[in-house]
Amino acid sequence: MEAATSKRLTTAAGVALIFSAALSLAAWAQATTGQATTGEATSGQAATGQGNTGPGDTDFPPLAKECGEANATTMALPNSARALAKDKKLKILAIGASSASILGGMRDGNPPLLEQLLERTIAGLDVEIVNRGVSGELAGDAAKRLKVEVALNQPDVVLWQVGTNDAFAQVPVEEFQETVGEMVRWLKEHNTDVILVGLHYMKNLAKDAHYQAMRASLQHIANVENVPRIGRYEAMEILSRTLRENGRRDPGEFGSTESAYDCMARYVARVIAVGLFAKPPKKPASH
Amino acid sequence: MPRTPNAVDFWRGYALVSIFVNHIPGIYFERFTHRNVSFSDSAELFVFLAGWSLGYLVGGSDAPKSTPRLMLRLGSRAFQIYAAQILISSLAIATLASAAFLLDNPLILEWHNAAAVFLDPALTHIGLVLLTHQLGYFDILPLYVVLMVVAAPLVALIYRFGRPLLVPLSLAIYLAALIVPITVPTWPVPGQWFFNPLAWQVLFVLGFALSRPDGIGDFVQRHINVIRLVALPITALSAAVALFSLFPDPTIFPEPKLLFLNGKTFLTPVRLLQFLALAAVMSVTYVYIARGVPWLVAFLALLGRNSLNVFCVASVLSLLGQIVRYLYSRSFGVDTVIVVVGIALLWLTAWVSEWRQQRASG
Repeated sequence: MEAATSKRLTTAAGVALIFSAALSLAAWAQATTGQATTGEATSGQAATGQGNTGPGDTDFPPLAKECGEANATTMALPNSARALAKDKKLKILAIGASSASILGGMRDGNPPLLEQLLERTIAGLDVEIVNRGVSGELAGDAAKRLKVEVALNQPDVVLWQVGTNDAFAQVPVEEFQETVGEMVRWLKEHNTDVILVGLHYMKNLAKDAHYQAMRASLQHIANVENVPRIGRYEAMEILSRTLRENGRRDPGEFGSTESAYDCMARYVARVIAVGLFAKPPKKPASH
Repeated sequence: MPRTPNAVDFWRGYALVSIFVNHIPGIYFERFTHRNVSFSDSAELFVFLAGWSLGYLVGGSDAPKSTPRLMLRLGSRAFQIYAAQILISSLAIATLASAAFLLDNPLILEWHNAAAVFLDPALTHIGLVLLTHQLGYFDILPLYVVLMVVAAPLVALIYRFGRPLLVPLSLAIYLAALIVPITVPTWPVPGQWFFNPLAWQVLFVLGFALSRPDGIGDFVQRHINVIRLVALPITALSAAVALFSLFPDPTIFPEPKLLFLNGKTFLTPVRLLQFLALAAVMSVTYVYIARGVPWLVAFLALLGRNSLNVFCVASVLSLLGQIVRYLYSRSFGVDTVIVVVGIALLWLTAWVSEWRQQRASG
């Protein structure tokens, strides 16, 4: 909070210097979804603990062997589940950096892999993906745009890929945490599920203190706000190790990021599919 | 001889420096650009002044009298801008690829919507040439190209043969784009243009119309003092709203929501009106700046006179600035060096451009 206040005050002072003549005048309500009490569930628990006719445990979007296990917190997506129950439709708003990296390959004009996987997994489901990713955008700018996009598109779930650009742009960790946390709370208040997609993996970023602090910060937000997070960094680390062990190229190497993208789309599809059929959280007993 | 400094060149120079700084996300000096106290930013100023310049091209004293010659001149200018867009996109892609190789960091290949270029090069290169695939922060010129290819000839024709229809027609297209809403899709990566040309054309046309000594331009010039009195509280209020994030929750607005939201893609009315108010207020300051800081006016006007070359260099320098910031941890010193060296190179670009023009004209 202090960082933001200080930044605003510095901004005000700076602008006043430049435009002193003309511009000196410038001077959780918890959503009904009850996400706060949602616990984490494994895909198996999720699939068996609901009344909906969902896919069986083994029917969730398959992960290629080389993708390893998704390091993702999986939990109920109650707003998306309601949309599914109502008219078998799911509207996903993708925002943040490179969209291809979470939606999967979009070769030859086919729909994104994520859409194909979800529609294949859940019979009769109509998935609409609204891609509003702006590459290079920082969390602060994305958050402003996200509110507008939610108002315009009324998505059931937001896939927010966030953190890498802010880490590269050296955005202070506190500022990042405040921005993303505030936005996640806003989405929950507006009955919109959110899945945070974490920072990218690069071997030579393992010792980058700021980068690692941003990772930890996003993990903290997901834990505090009880929203699913896809640990892309951890997942890609596993993928990288698996590929190296098999004598294949690291996903971080040139020309092989496509396989990493497809893995990410599979992780996302799995988190959504699990979230759609996860057992709703128990409401605290009223006294 | 280059023309003497004037308000249009000065403000265009200001917009170019501001765009250069704002396109290095997270840089310290970003907080001193006017977008922090305004709904609109330098993109609005850039497009408005592009329309204003079109006024000189179409209605100026040296404007071609014959309509076909005028169309040829507009087409030639549009091609120049298109070629510039293709050149800077190629330079940006090569810069990203080089940085990724030299720094052993393939993540850089994903910056600014470039991932598709490397993953799906066949279709994405077609998209780059068709302008349906745009790199992040390299998306203003595609708008400018569309405005020059489609809007400019229509503006010129309507101005010559049906003048009173110009602004109402532009407003009608703008409102239709917002109410329907009509988006312009990107390809091969599905999405929409960051700057919707159907919405942004209204600012281009207003810039044109306000530059003319008749119609709406004449009205504004005659009543500019009253307009400034109305614009001042709007500017001050929007500065406070922007600075302290007081804009209402966008979900509370009725349909069609785009008429009430603050969105850049569609240049929503609140942004448009705020920009016009800001322009009215700030336009009075030029005389005082020119009197008090003539060197600043001379400097920014030099950039503004060579706006296309300076814009192209600024775009690539912003990208290099991002890479430098990635390499060296966040520090005021690094940010200062980036901005000072960047602005110096923008000056050099403008100076060389004029030197070449002078040599060419003997």
